[in-house]
Amino acid sequence: MKNFPRVLLIAAAAALVAAPFLTGNPFYQRIAALTALAAISASAWNLIGGYGGQVSFGHSVYFGIGAYASLLAYTKLGVPPIAGAPLGVLASFALSVIVGLPSFRLRGHYFSMATIAIAALAEVLVTNWGFAGGAIGLMGPASPRSLADLLFRSALPYYALFVAVLASLLGFTYLMQRGRMGFYLRALGSGERAAESLGVPIRRYKLYALLVSGAFTSLAGSLYAVMVGFIDPGSGFGILVSVNMVVMSALGGAGTLFGPLVGAIILVPLEETTNALLGGGSSGAAYVVYGAIIMLIARFSPGGLAQWWPLLSGKGRRGAA
Amino acid sequence: MLLEAKGIIKTFGSFRAVDEADLTLQEHELIGLIGPNGAGKSTFFNCLAGDALPDGGSIRFRDREITRMAPHDRARLGLARTFQVPIVFDGMTVRENVMVGAFLRRPHRHAAAAKADEVLAFTGLAEQADQPVTTLGTPGRKRLEIARALASEPTVLLLDEALAGLTSAEVETAIALVRRIHESGITLIVVEHIMEVIHRLTQRVIVFQQGRVLAEGSPADVTADPRVIEAYLGRRAGRHRP
Ligand SMILES: Nc1ncnc2c1ncn2[C@@H]1O[C@H](COP(=O)(O)OP(=O)(O)O)[C@@H](O)[C@H]1O
Ligand SMILES: [Mg+2]
Repeated sequence: MKNFPRVLLIAAAAALVAAPFLTGNPFYQRIAALTALAAISASAWNLIGGYGGQVSFGHSVYFGIGAYASLLAYTKLGVPPIAGAPLGVLASFALSVIVGLPSFRLRGHYFSMATIAIAALAEVLVTNWGFAGGAIGLMGPASPRSLADLLFRSALPYYALFVAVLASLLGFTYLMQRGRMGFYLRALGSGERAAESLGVPIRRYKLYALLVSGAFTSLAGSLYAVMVGFIDPGSGFGILVSVNMVVMSALGGAGTLFGPLVGAIILVPLEETTNALLGGGSSGAAYVVYGAIIMLIARFSPGGLAQWWPLLSGKGRRGAA
Repeated sequence: MLLEAKGIIKTFGSFRAVDEADLTLQEHELIGLIGPNGAGKSTFFNCLAGDALPDGGSIRFRDREITRMAPHDRARLGLARTFQVPIVFDGMTVRENVMVGAFLRRPHRHAAAAKADEVLAFTGLAEQADQPVTTLGTPGRKRLEIARALASEPTVLLLDEALAGLTSAEVETAIALVRRIHESGITLIVVEHIMEVIHRLTQRVIVFQQGRVLAEGSPADVTADPRVIEAYLGRRAGRHRP
């Protein structure tokens, strides 16, 4: 009887993962792919922002790096866009070391503000960088030259690819969460002085988390560019890209394994359907909705939806803090 | 000498919170550090533990110069501390809090959990192991901080007012715990301002006043010292004492 909810959960999860393959509706399939993609970047953000408590509002800089790496690789080198993904990951590592390390000296709000500034700066730089398409941006291949261009009419192949990446990220997160790194991140996130006094090298662990977080966010950016075939400064480096990751994590539960995924499953379909209803391009509405969600979470449920999960499953382990 | 601090100075602006304070600690000692509020005891602890960098003086621990060493490296060397105002890791259970300490010397999850359970039993927190740490009151949090520090398997443990704010029954359990920690082979410095507690725990006391070491010796000698009485009870009481 004890395992009953778990079996049910696994069955529900399997059904959810399989559902896009069963529906013939391309609109839903596209939403499913975008949801999986958003879950990747939100789950990546969650490593440093959720577990590590270092709330970055500038993760779009990684997303943009990944997206631009893909389409720069295509436009400048003529290789398939996905071949740019490893370059994006390498660039994300460099950025984490160069920018992350010094900004870790800042605490709390000051860290968050520094990350906003970095992403805003990146957006301005790219907008003025003619080589990378300036304000207009970059296009991917118009028609597939080979399978490696990963250009499909259906969203399903993308969905499958994104789910595989998401699964490996969540697998990493699961192992991390159980082990020393997960404990150290959670500890330094809630009490740096105490964590240090217990032997936690806090800056080193923040850097580890940021390296993985930035790499997966960059990968998400590359995958986005591969699927959408277009990137401009706003869709790569814009503040809304960062806010998306933060809000999804916070809504589902920052610092929990499935929180960002749950947030993505709620928000992406909501956003896509309202966009479809309102005729698209209504990023103004997104700001309002996200602002409202942030305020509601802050006021009523700082732990996100995950806070209510123990009540539902009758465990009451975390308690409402 | 296990731990030696010489001429420690710590200033905040133009104010010297610690003013050329010295301390020596032999292996297996249990010494008391007392003094009125604001005497600089916590600041001195912070210098020893690496939480604050002193503006002057030097600290040696286990034959190594550690004056400017990071707190986590001191912890690895075997220096553990608790905070006057407990800092617990919200969002974790009591056991998970202690596991953070245990991971220092036991990188594997199961070994860390086993160490945590051992320490929780030792400190009398076993029953609360699976509770969220936020359910603990102040006495529980103070005990948890001790447990967490013990889980890091220190050589020296610095306790900053671990007994302050406890009821007399809780003080008794806490004194018993400090004694058992000492008997287990750990060297301790106990900051306390209840003189009676110090009497019962230690053979050697250092009295702080205005950032300086005012007196040092056995609890009986120190409490008989007119300067100490003056510091504690105010000028008048000191002067008019027969
Ligand atoms: N971070 C700080 N900034 C400024 N003044 C401080 C700071 N920390 C402590 N002090 C001052 O230093 C003095 C010693 O404080 P503290 O070490 O906490 O004393 P104790 O622990 O003996 O009560 C006090 O006057 C206190 O106000
Ligand atoms: Mg103090």
